[in-house]
Amino acid sequence: MRESRLMLLQYVTALLAVALVSIHLMMQGVILPYDTAISFNNMLSIYRNAVTAVFLEALLLVVLVHGFNGLRIILYELRQTKPWTTWVDVVTVAAVIGTVAYGTRTVILAAFGVVSA
Amino acid sequence: MAKAAAKNKRGIAGWLNPYHYNAERWAYTFQRVTGVAVLLYVLGHLGDTSFFVGGPTGTGPSASSWAFIGTVFENTFGHTILVLLVLALVFHGVNGIRLVLSEFGLILRKPSAIEFPYKPKALASGQRALIYVGIATAVLSAIWTYLVLFEGMG
Repeated sequence: MRESRLMLLQYVTALLAVALVSIHLMMQGVILPYDTAISFNNMLSIYRNAVTAVFLEALLLVVLVHGFNGLRIILYELRQTKPWTTWVDVVTVAAVIGTVAYGTRTVILAAFGVVSA
Repeated sequence: MAKAAAKNKRGIAGWLNPYHYNAERWAYTFQRVTGVAVLLYVLGHLGDTSFFVGGPTGTGPSASSWAFIGTVFENTFGHTILVLLVLALVFHGVNGIRLVLSEFGLILRKPSAIEFPYKPKALASGQRALIYVGIATAVLSAIWTYLVLFEGMG
Protein backbone atom coordinates (compact mmCIF):
# COMPACT_ATOMS: atom_id res chain seq x y z
CA MET A 1 0.00 0.00 0.00
CA ARG A 2 1.26 3.52 -0.78
CA GLU A 3 2.65 5.49 2.14
CA SER A 4 0.07 8.25 1.64
CA ARG A 5 -2.71 5.67 1.97
CA LEU A 6 -1.13 4.30 5.14
CA MET A 7 -0.98 7.80 6.64
CA LEU A 8 -4.64 8.35 5.70
CA LEU A 9 -5.40 5.02 7.39
CA GLN A 10 -3.53 6.29 10.46
CA TYR A 11 -5.68 9.45 10.61
CA VAL A 12 -8.96 7.63 9.99
CA THR A 13 -8.20 5.00 12.66
CA ALA A 14 -7.12 7.82 14.99
CA LEU A 15 -10.52 9.52 14.79
CA LEU A 16 -12.36 6.20 15.09
CA ALA A 17 -10.17 5.25 18.07
CA VAL A 18 -10.95 8.53 19.84
CA ALA A 19 -14.69 7.82 19.51
CA LEU A 20 -14.53 4.11 20.40
CA VAL A 21 -12.03 4.43 23.26
CA SER A 22 -14.05 7.32 24.74
CA ILE A 23 -17.14 5.11 24.86
CA HIS A 24 -15.06 2.21 26.25
CA LEU A 25 -13.71 4.39 29.07
CA MET A 26 -17.11 5.95 29.80
CA MET A 27 -18.55 2.47 30.30
CA GLN A 28 -16.24 2.06 33.29
CA GLY A 29 -16.82 4.61 36.00
CA VAL A 30 -19.11 7.10 34.23
CA ILE A 31 -22.07 5.25 32.69
CA LEU A 32 -21.65 2.26 34.99
CA PRO A 33 -19.91 2.08 38.38
CA TYR A 34 -16.40 0.62 37.91
CA ASP A 35 -16.99 -2.44 40.10
CA THR A 36 -20.19 -3.26 38.23
CA ALA A 37 -18.52 -2.71 34.85
CA ILE A 38 -15.77 -5.27 35.46
CA SER A 39 -17.99 -7.83 37.20
CA PHE A 40 -18.17 -11.24 35.51
CA ASN A 41 -21.91 -11.10 34.89
CA ASN A 42 -21.79 -7.63 33.33
CA MET A 43 -18.85 -8.59 31.11
CA LEU A 44 -20.68 -11.73 30.03
CA SER A 45 -23.77 -9.73 29.09
CA ILE A 46 -21.60 -7.34 27.06
CA TYR A 47 -19.88 -10.13 25.13
CA ARG A 48 -23.22 -11.92 24.52
CA ASN A 49 -24.94 -8.84 23.14
CA ALA A 50 -24.35 -8.64 19.38
CA VAL A 51 -24.04 -4.83 19.27
CA THR A 52 -21.55 -4.52 22.15
CA ALA A 53 -19.56 -7.56 21.00
CA VAL A 54 -19.19 -6.01 17.53
CA PHE A 55 -18.23 -2.75 19.25
CA LEU A 56 -15.43 -4.53 21.15
CA GLU A 57 -14.22 -6.23 17.97
CA ALA A 58 -14.17 -2.89 16.13
CA LEU A 59 -12.30 -1.31 19.05
CA LEU A 60 -9.76 -4.13 18.95
CA LEU A 61 -9.19 -3.78 15.21
CA VAL A 62 -9.01 0.02 15.13
CA VAL A 63 -6.68 0.37 18.13
CA LEU A 64 -4.28 -2.35 17.00
CA VAL A 65 -4.07 -1.13 13.39
CA HIS A 66 -3.51 2.44 14.63
CA GLY A 67 -1.00 1.37 17.28
CA PHE A 68 1.15 -0.87 15.13
CA ASN A 69 1.01 1.47 12.13
CA GLY A 70 2.15 4.26 14.46
CA LEU A 71 5.02 2.11 15.70
CA ARG A 72 5.91 1.35 12.07
CA ILE A 73 6.12 5.09 11.36
CA ILE A 74 8.45 5.59 14.35
CA LEU A 75 10.64 2.66 13.33
CA TYR A 76 10.85 3.97 9.74
CA GLU A 77 12.44 7.15 11.05
CA LEU A 78 15.19 5.29 12.87
CA ARG A 79 16.68 3.93 9.66
CA GLN A 80 15.76 4.19 5.98
CA THR A 81 17.49 1.20 4.40
CA LYS A 82 15.48 -1.20 2.26
CA PRO A 83 16.10 -4.29 4.46
CA TRP A 84 15.02 -2.34 7.55
CA THR A 85 11.78 -1.00 6.06
CA THR A 86 10.94 -4.42 4.65
CA TRP A 87 11.56 -6.04 8.04
CA VAL A 88 9.45 -3.38 9.79
CA ASP A 89 6.59 -3.88 7.28
CA VAL A 90 6.62 -7.66 7.72
CA VAL A 91 6.74 -7.48 11.53
CA THR A 92 3.96 -4.85 11.59
CA VAL A 93 1.61 -6.94 9.45
CA ALA A 94 2.41 -10.09 11.46
CA ALA A 95 1.87 -8.23 14.76
CA VAL A 96 -1.50 -6.83 13.65
CA ILE A 97 -2.69 -10.23 12.39
CA GLY A 98 -1.45 -12.05 15.52
CA THR A 99 -2.88 -9.66 18.08
CA VAL A 100 -6.20 -9.16 16.29
CA ALA A 101 -6.52 -12.95 16.03
CA TYR A 102 -5.84 -13.39 19.77
CA GLY A 103 -8.28 -10.65 20.74
CA THR A 104 -10.92 -11.99 18.34
CA ARG A 105 -10.51 -15.42 19.93
CA THR A 106 -11.39 -13.88 23.32
CA VAL A 107 -14.48 -12.17 21.86
CA ILE A 108 -15.67 -15.35 20.10
CA LEU A 109 -15.08 -17.64 23.10
CA ALA A 110 -16.74 -15.12 25.43
CA ALA A 111 -19.72 -14.80 23.11
CA PHE A 112 -20.25 -18.47 22.25
CA GLY A 113 -18.21 -20.55 24.74
CA VAL A 114 -19.64 -22.63 27.58
CA VAL A 115 -19.69 -20.71 30.87
CA SER A 116 -17.84 -22.31 33.79
CA ALA A 117 -17.63 -21.38 37.47
CA MET B 1 25.42 11.86 2.12
CA ALA B 2 22.57 9.43 1.44
CA LYS B 3 24.47 6.72 3.25
CA ALA B 4 24.95 8.94 6.31
CA ALA B 5 21.25 9.84 6.27
CA ALA B 6 20.31 6.17 6.01
CA LYS B 7 22.31 5.42 9.14
CA ASN B 8 20.40 8.14 11.05
CA LYS B 9 22.97 8.10 13.82
CA ARG B 10 20.92 10.03 16.36
CA GLY B 11 18.29 7.28 16.25
CA ILE B 12 15.69 7.47 18.99
CA ALA B 13 17.51 10.42 20.58
CA GLY B 14 16.67 12.36 17.42
CA TRP B 15 13.00 12.56 18.32
CA LEU B 16 13.08 11.76 22.02
CA ASN B 17 14.91 14.92 23.09
CA PRO B 18 12.74 18.05 22.72
CA TYR B 19 14.98 20.18 24.95
CA HIS B 20 15.59 23.72 23.55
CA TYR B 21 12.62 23.41 21.15
CA ASN B 22 9.09 24.87 21.18
CA ALA B 23 5.84 23.50 22.68
CA GLU B 24 4.89 21.78 19.42
CA ARG B 25 8.17 19.84 19.50
CA TRP B 26 7.46 18.76 23.07
CA ALA B 27 3.98 17.68 21.98
CA TYR B 28 5.56 15.66 19.14
CA THR B 29 7.79 13.81 21.60
CA PHE B 30 4.98 13.20 24.09
CA GLN B 31 2.69 12.02 21.27
CA ARG B 32 5.18 9.28 20.46
CA VAL B 33 6.08 8.35 24.02
CA THR B 34 2.40 8.12 25.03
CA GLY B 35 1.61 6.22 21.81
CA VAL B 36 4.21 3.54 22.54
CA ALA B 37 3.14 3.38 26.21
CA VAL B 38 -0.53 2.94 25.26
CA LEU B 39 0.34 0.25 22.70
CA LEU B 40 2.26 -1.67 25.39
CA TYR B 41 -0.75 -1.37 27.70
CA VAL B 42 -3.11 -2.58 24.95
CA LEU B 43 -0.97 -5.69 24.46
CA GLY B 44 -1.10 -6.36 28.21
CA HIS B 45 -4.85 -5.66 28.21
CA LEU B 46 -5.34 -8.24 25.44
CA GLY B 47 -3.61 -10.71 27.75
CA ASP B 48 -5.57 -9.89 30.90
CA THR B 49 -8.98 -9.80 29.18
CA SER B 50 -8.26 -13.22 27.68
CA PHE B 51 -8.47 -14.55 31.25
CA PHE B 52 -12.22 -13.87 30.99
CA VAL B 53 -12.27 -17.02 28.85
CA GLY B 54 -9.66 -18.88 30.90
CA GLY B 55 -6.48 -17.40 29.42
CA PRO B 56 -4.51 -18.65 26.40
CA THR B 57 -5.72 -22.23 26.80
CA GLY B 58 -9.28 -21.39 27.90
CA THR B 59 -12.39 -22.51 26.06
CA GLY B 60 -15.14 -20.24 27.39
CA PRO B 61 -16.13 -17.67 30.03
CA SER B 62 -14.66 -18.68 33.39
CA ALA B 63 -15.67 -16.91 36.60
CA SER B 64 -12.72 -18.37 38.56
CA SER B 65 -10.17 -17.33 35.93
CA TRP B 66 -11.63 -13.80 35.85
CA ALA B 67 -11.55 -13.64 39.65
CA PHE B 68 -7.91 -14.74 39.57
CA ILE B 69 -6.85 -12.00 37.15
CA GLY B 70 -8.78 -9.53 39.32
CA THR B 71 -6.54 -10.39 42.26
CA VAL B 72 -3.50 -9.67 40.08
CA PHE B 73 -4.55 -6.26 38.68
CA GLU B 74 -7.30 -4.86 40.93
CA ASN B 75 -4.93 -3.41 43.51
CA THR B 76 -3.03 -0.17 44.15
CA PHE B 77 -0.36 -1.00 41.57
CA GLY B 78 -2.88 -1.91 38.85
CA HIS B 79 -5.03 1.14 39.57
CA THR B 80 -1.98 3.43 39.47
CA ILE B 81 -1.17 2.01 36.03
CA LEU B 82 -4.76 2.80 34.94
CA VAL B 83 -4.51 6.41 36.16
CA LEU B 84 -1.23 6.87 34.24
CA LEU B 85 -2.80 5.14 31.22
CA VAL B 86 -5.73 7.58 31.15
CA LEU B 87 -3.30 10.51 31.47
CA ALA B 88 -1.28 9.26 28.48
CA LEU B 89 -4.30 8.12 26.46
CA VAL B 90 -6.30 11.34 26.73
CA PHE B 91 -3.32 13.54 25.89
CA HIS B 92 -2.52 11.27 22.91
CA GLY B 93 -6.13 11.46 21.72
CA VAL B 94 -6.63 15.23 22.03
CA ASN B 95 -3.20 16.06 20.63
CA GLY B 96 -3.86 13.50 17.88
CA ILE B 97 -7.02 15.39 16.89
CA ARG B 98 -4.87 18.54 16.61
CA LEU B 99 -2.47 16.67 14.33
CA VAL B 100 -5.29 15.35 12.12
CA LEU B 101 -6.83 18.83 11.84
CA SER B 102 -3.50 20.38 10.90
CA GLU B 103 -2.69 17.54 8.47
CA PHE B 104 -5.84 18.38 6.53
CA GLY B 105 -5.09 22.11 6.74
CA LEU B 106 -8.10 22.92 8.90
CA ILE B 107 -6.21 24.86 11.58
CA LEU B 108 -3.41 26.28 9.46
CA ARG B 109 -3.29 29.90 8.37
CA LYS B 110 -2.71 30.84 4.76
CA PRO B 111 0.96 31.18 3.80
CA SER B 112 2.22 34.76 3.74
CA ALA B 113 5.45 36.74 3.70
CA ILE B 114 7.48 36.36 6.85
CA GLU B 115 7.52 39.36 9.16
CA PHE B 116 9.27 40.33 12.34
CA PRO B 117 9.29 38.72 14.97
CA TYR B 118 9.24 35.69 12.63
CA LYS B 119 6.78 33.58 14.59
CA PRO B 120 5.70 30.52 12.56
CA LYS B 121 2.23 31.38 11.28
CA ALA B 122 1.45 27.75 10.62
CA LEU B 123 1.39 27.23 14.37
CA ALA B 124 -1.26 29.90 14.96
CA SER B 125 -5.04 29.39 14.76
CA GLY B 126 -5.33 27.66 18.08
CA GLN B 127 -2.74 24.96 17.55
CA ARG B 128 -0.87 25.78 20.75
CA ALA B 129 -4.15 26.24 22.61
CA LEU B 130 -5.13 22.71 21.56
CA ILE B 131 -1.92 21.35 23.09
CA TYR B 132 -2.84 22.97 26.40
CA VAL B 133 -6.42 21.70 26.07
CA GLY B 134 -4.93 18.21 25.63
CA ILE B 135 -2.83 18.56 28.77
CA ALA B 136 -5.74 19.96 30.80
CA THR B 137 -8.16 17.27 29.58
CA ALA B 138 -5.63 14.55 30.33
CA VAL B 139 -5.01 15.80 33.87
CA LEU B 140 -8.76 16.17 34.59
CA SER B 141 -9.44 12.69 33.21
CA ALA B 142 -6.63 11.23 35.31
CA ILE B 143 -8.05 12.93 38.42
CA TRP B 144 -11.49 11.50 37.64
CA THR B 145 -9.94 8.04 37.17
CA TYR B 146 -8.13 8.39 40.50
CA LEU B 147 -11.42 9.31 42.21
CA VAL B 148 -13.19 6.33 40.61
CA LEU B 149 -10.48 3.78 41.40
CA PHE B 150 -9.16 5.00 44.72
CA GLU B 151 -12.06 6.94 46.25
CA GLY B 152 -14.98 4.84 44.98
CA MET B 153 -16.67 7.60 42.95
CA GLY B 154 -18.51 6.93 39.70
